[in-house]
Amino acid sequence: MTPRLTFKILRKDIALGPRSPIFLWALILPFALTLILQVAFGSLFNPEPRLGIVDDGDSQITAQIEGMEGIDLVLLDDVEALKTQVEANDLDAGLVLPSGFDAAVKNGDRPDLQFYIGGESYASNRIILSVTTLDLVRDLEGSDAPVTVEVVNFGTVGLPMSVRLVPVIVFYALVMAGIFAPGSNLVEEKEHGTLMALLVSPAKIGDVLAAKWALGTILASIMAVATLVLNNALGSNWLEVLVVVLVAASLSSMVGLLMGTFAKDSTIMFGMIKGLGIFLFAPTLFYIFPEWPQWIAKLFPLYWILEPIWVVSVMGGSITEVWFELAVAIGITIALIPAVGFVARKVQTQMAAG
Amino acid sequence: MSRPVSRASIIGALLKKELKAYSRDKVYLILTLVVLLLFPVMFNFLPDSVDENLTLAVSPSISSMIDGAKDTFREMGATEAQLAELDNADFTEGEEGLALVEFDDAEEMQRVIDGKLEAWRTEDGDIVLRDKEADEDKPEDAEKVNLDIGIAFPESFIADVAAEKKGVTVTVYSDANVPEEIQGAMESFVREAAYQLAGKELPVTMADEDSLVLGEDRAGDQISLKDKFRPMVIFMVLLMETFSMASLVSTEVLQRTVTSVLVTPARVSDFLISKTIFGTFMSLGQGLIVLLLVGGLTADNWSLILTTLLLGSVMFTGIALFVGASGKDFMGQLFYSMLFTIPLLIPSFSVLFPGTAAVWVKVLPTYPIIDTLVGAMSYGATWSDSIGSLAYATAWLVVLFFAGLFQLKRKVQTL
Repeated sequence: MTPRLTFKILRKDIALGPRSPIFLWALILPFALTLILQVAFGSLFNPEPRLGIVDDGDSQITAQIEGMEGIDLVLLDDVEALKTQVEANDLDAGLVLPSGFDAAVKNGDRPDLQFYIGGESYASNRIILSVTTLDLVRDLEGSDAPVTVEVVNFGTVGLPMSVRLVPVIVFYALVMAGIFAPGSNLVEEKEHGTLMALLVSPAKIGDVLAAKWALGTILASIMAVATLVLNNALGSNWLEVLVVVLVAASLSSMVGLLMGTFAKDSTIMFGMIKGLGIFLFAPTLFYIFPEWPQWIAKLFPLYWILEPIWVVSVMGGSITEVWFELAVAIGITIALIPAVGFVARKVQTQMAAG
Repeated sequence: MSRPVSRASIIGALLKKELKAYSRDKVYLILTLVVLLLFPVMFNFLPDSVDENLTLAVSPSISSMIDGAKDTFREMGATEAQLAELDNADFTEGEEGLALVEFDDAEEMQRVIDGKLEAWRTEDGDIVLRDKEADEDKPEDAEKVNLDIGIAFPESFIADVAAEKKGVTVTVYSDANVPEEIQGAMESFVREAAYQLAGKELPVTMADEDSLVLGEDRAGDQISLKDKFRPMVIFMVLLMETFSMASLVSTEVLQRTVTSVLVTPARVSDFLISKTIFGTFMSLGQGLIVLLLVGGLTADNWSLILTTLLLGSVMFTGIALFVGASGKDFMGQLFYSMLFTIPLLIPSFSVLFPGTAAVWVKVLPTYPIIDTLVGAMSYGATWSDSIGSLAYATAWLVVLFFAGLFQLKRKVQTL
């Protein structure tokens, strides 16, 4: 293996890589997934009761609801628009506060409370919004409550879904950039005959494979860090984050290299990714569902790279907390080298035989 | 001399060739079989009911609080008949969405909410407690009740509040993960209950409940996740077929087998017709298989659903022709497939969200397809309800299908 030749091949791959659709996907996917999972579908994981208010008199009730956590408030100007949205289940409930409502309550005039409930709203949302509204109306009246309510909380607040989804997005960044990109790059070289051309030059198969591995490692590292930044999950200990990301990218790229060496063509490469997808993806599910028995996650190879990223980058822990996981990841990476070499020699023999 | 061959027999022969090519494409053949098996199997694991209630633990039991308040009510002048009425009163009536679990012992309730004890409901409706730490056996024929919030009333709560005693305190125990709006609502609920017991009427006039609810009242009859996923699963199967059809077209274009086909009596139009028929048939056939497996056809909606499936199949075939003719290689074709199908998937996810889809989602070609399927399967929509969506879907179908045909024809002619 000649480092100079490896570097030349790597430089060529970096220069020509962006022409490949897979490279484009590797670049786009983390951004698209962050947008889809965290922005567009974020409310699916954390639904909040939705209340619309038409407030013609700067009511104190509106100001109080605006300051509350956990109620999705929409302010509207038109009563008919409010009713339409409530009926269409765009809102769970709607409240109309006409001008002078606050004064009428304070004066004891018992004004009509125009509170509408959507037929499709869940009973739990109905009760949350209606009792909260009534409580605010009572508060507006100014009378002292006949009872004092104390709240005692047990346990600690769990991580929000937006954080638990970070390993999923990082996983895709690593798979696309670390596994799919170098693997398909190698397969395309086989399909287009450029691998054969390279091998009749002074470059050896080891130089080619080392260049592809370096390509996947660099790309996966960049995309993993970009994903963590996008998801606000890059810890302040960035040097340690860089180490765990590099280890993760190295292992991903080695898996990609093994697949790329083994696959005869793009269809088989794609089939392998699809077929192994669930096996590779499985450990991310244990971050989404922390109540599952966590030891099962350790049976899957990518757990050993996701856990260090989770602990060091997302949770802001120290690299010393995950030394064992890192050691296993490095061990798997090293153990894959002879496997890649064996398959590569076989492929080379087949190519030579024509 | 060869005898003239009819167009139908040429197209028939091309269709046979398509079927052979399809069965040889192992990756997509396996993926198709996996989708056909996996989707219906996974669908059957989805919950078919909606738990829309807040489960609330209370201590002590309502009846014991009432018993404790009877003497006070007697002193306040209540008759025995009025007191007897109290025994029969349902205090959760009017609080739809609240399921109460009563505990005699506040400490036990506290331990359940803290996660140290488990509450199980037997078939008779009794609550049995299980000490997790002591590794007690799980009660048989009972289901676990998730209790993460509870209210501990003082024994004399009703009497004290009715007598307007000062300093009455109620404690809400809650798991830290219970959303703030639920904790807040429970505080409000306790205060409002106290106001009512103290005889303090609301400072506003409320309309009767029926006039408050807008639209069909689905409380207790919400559309389950299973029902929401049914049209989505069928739609996904139609969409998945785009990948395999695009792969078939792409292989034919890349390997230039189409040029061999065109030196036979077959014309470009025969080639395009056979691709269209094959793609539509495959997509529609798989959609129908999954539809039969997941259910959803009724005597009222079958014609509407089948028409919508046909429109969807032709639309996705058009997209597959376009994608298959666009990629320079397998990866290129895969890239184009993803580029087209991911945006087209978005409308199917909109069914998971409550309310109306955003305008930009409605503009997408697949929106009218999923909208009609959801309407027909979940809301009993009829032809007249869906005619607008079907017309919109047809307009998109014409655009996409002819774009696909044009792209493939152009590609074939340049080979």
